[in-house]
Amino acid sequence: MDVALKIWRYDPDSGDRELRDYELEAPEWACLLDVLDLIKDQQDGTLAYRKSCRMMICGSCGMRMDGRAVLACKERMLPIVERGHVPVISAMGNMPIVKDLVVDMDPFWNKIRRMKPWLEPGYDEVLERERIVSQQEMNVIQKEALCIMCGCCVSECNSMESDPEFFGPAALAKGFRFVGDTRDQASVERLEDYNDEHGIWDCTRCYFCNERCPKGVDPRDAIAKLGAESVKEGIDRDMGAKHAKWFVKSAETTGWLRETELVPKTQGIVSAVKQTKFAIGLARRGKVPPPVPPHVAADVGEARALHQLVREQGREGALGIVQGERALARIEHTDAGGARRDAPEVTPREEPPKAEG
Amino acid sequence: MKVAYYKGCLASLSAKELDTSTQALAPMLGLELDELESVTCCGAGDIHEAEPDYYLHLNARILAYGAATGAETLMTICNVCTLNLRQANFQLLNDSELRARVNTNLATVGVPPYEDDIEVKHLLWLIVEDDGAERLRQVAHKGLKGLKIAPFYGCQILRPSKLLGFEDPDRPWSLEAIIDACGGEAIDYPAKIKCCGFPIIQAREDVAMGELIQPIEQASEAGADAMVTPCPLCHLSLDAWQSKLKATTGRDFKMPILHLSQLVGVAAGLEESELKFKRHVVPVDPMLEKLEV
Ligand code: SF4
Ligand code: SF4
Ligand code: SF4
Ligand code: SF4
Ligand code: FES
Repeated sequence: MDVALKIWRYDPDSGDRELRDYELEAPEWACLLDVLDLIKDQQDGTLAYRKSCRMMICGSCGMRMDGRAVLACKERMLPIVERGHVPVISAMGNMPIVKDLVVDMDPFWNKIRRMKPWLEPGYDEVLERERIVSQQEMNVIQKEALCIMCGCCVSECNSMESDPEFFGPAALAKGFRFVGDTRDQASVERLEDYNDEHGIWDCTRCYFCNERCPKGVDPRDAIAKLGAESVKEGIDRDMGAKHAKWFVKSAETTGWLRETELVPKTQGIVSAVKQTKFAIGLARRGKVPPPVPPHVAADVGEARALHQLVREQGREGALGIVQGERALARIEHTDAGGARRDAPEVTPREEPPKAEG
Repeated sequence: MKVAYYKGCLASLSAKELDTSTQALAPMLGLELDELESVTCCGAGDIHEAEPDYYLHLNARILAYGAATGAETLMTICNVCTLNLRQANFQLLNDSELRARVNTNLATVGVPPYEDDIEVKHLLWLIVEDDGAERLRQVAHKGLKGLKIAPFYGCQILRPSKLLGFEDPDRPWSLEAIIDACGGEAIDYPAKIKCCGFPIIQAREDVAMGELIQPIEQASEAGADAMVTPCPLCHLSLDAWQSKLKATTGRDFKMPILHLSQLVGVAAGLEESELKFKRHVVPVDPMLEKLEV
């Protein structure tokens, strides 16, 4: 097949960046990585990119295709060629570019290390007998354990664009991999640590990480599990945790979100006072309903009784999400619900990657 | 088509204009709304994060009341509601053990169990599916001629696509199709699929502002007369927090933000009493004045 693609090149010595066109003949089974190999072999030996396993397990070949992070060894070229589409290849986002498609992963590794990604079994001496972990126990962290640390989830993380110090999806998913491990004895210390200013509650729920992850780790869901575990352990000093808890309170008292009280309940009275001018502006537009009488949903007693009931059943914490995953595991994560198939052809974005590096 | 209508918190409270415009528009689009009364907040992702088992039960209760109307579709008008309800629905429909447990609990507190399946769809999808754009052309007699509209999708109507899955999450087209059918010009800009920062606007205002400014700035630079969004939470941050952007960055975008049903409502000739633009923080008048009738 005849493949055409464009690649954003970056030369660190001169600082030049340029979108270059490539055309070549490639076998029909070729993936993006094969095509890059052919270009490097036949047309331009200076093209830089990372690779190793060529089978989606080493996590080296993360890069962007038309603005979305993919594993080059996972993307088949045939359907793209058949559509007559010319994809734009560039380096991943949220990491400085070293050269062409190679990014500096140091910030990524530092954040992974920050999570203490090793088991804290709570003993130094080797046990007399091995500790057997049941399949059921391992199921809890099954998804998070699939991570190959490719960085695709980080590439489009919206919170990290705004706060580069945010731990990010890969690191936090790694964190849950240990918090949820029944052998780990440091879960509470971990949760305390992950409740850092740049931790769990810094995530803006944009779901780019779930969308991008080529392994189905669903990092955003792992972050929600860390949130649930924190609330369960009573670690709720963060405004994000207070905010989340307030929704629970609202749902069981009035049924609807008690918006007027959300700011003081989340931020505390002092900052709430600082927000007063802003709030008055909103109130004038009817954006803040008066506190009394609170708007109460019909039959809210049912919602309250339900809350009491599920609390008695003791399924607090991440378990609530984990049990739902039995069903979610059935959806093929590469299929995107068939969404990509019927999408009309649209112009690929050609804006250059951010001038970092 | 009869649909069960779940309006969610914001349209019940601070974004009443979204509810009134939706109610006025629905009959024109052939939608017969059966509004759910005995329902609560979906939890907005927050209850999912704080107490996920309670989240599941609250949403199951909404689905149960929706299914009890006999409708096949539960219509939402909020991105976050759509994801929360679809996620819970997916879990319940595909896990009989879980559904049985939740149904027993619902019965214990006097809620009808979730028996008949119902599908959760956003108004946006109901408008454009099955050649809806053609239908819309008839309804939108007043049109949006001469207006450049920036579509803003927000996150939770696109991602995760395995739960939403209506359109390509990276190259969506539904809002553009609606703007086009209404006679306006849809402008394109990269941040239309990004996050507005709403979920952390209280807990991490600085981080949220760094997200919020991107779509507004890009839409403004592309010459948009207004932005349209299918989500009342996006609406709230884009509309109300513009004043904070002005305070922190010194930039006053004055960008009118419209709910989806308001935009279509303008094109279909709805009255101010239904559109309620007076409830917006950023005035919509400049856009309305520019509209060539
Ligand atoms: S998990 Fe084991 S077998 Fe698989 S790549 Fe790693 S070392 Fe090799
Ligand atoms: S979570 Fe997924 S996308 Fe992120 S580093 Fe791991 S495998 Fe890659
Ligand atoms: S959901 Fe959270 S962690 Fe995932 S990409 Fe968005 S902000 Fe980042
Ligand atoms: S998402 Fe928000 S607006 Fe929609 S019902 Fe839930 S809490 Fe309310
Ligand atoms: S080359 Fe190893 S994951 Fe692609």
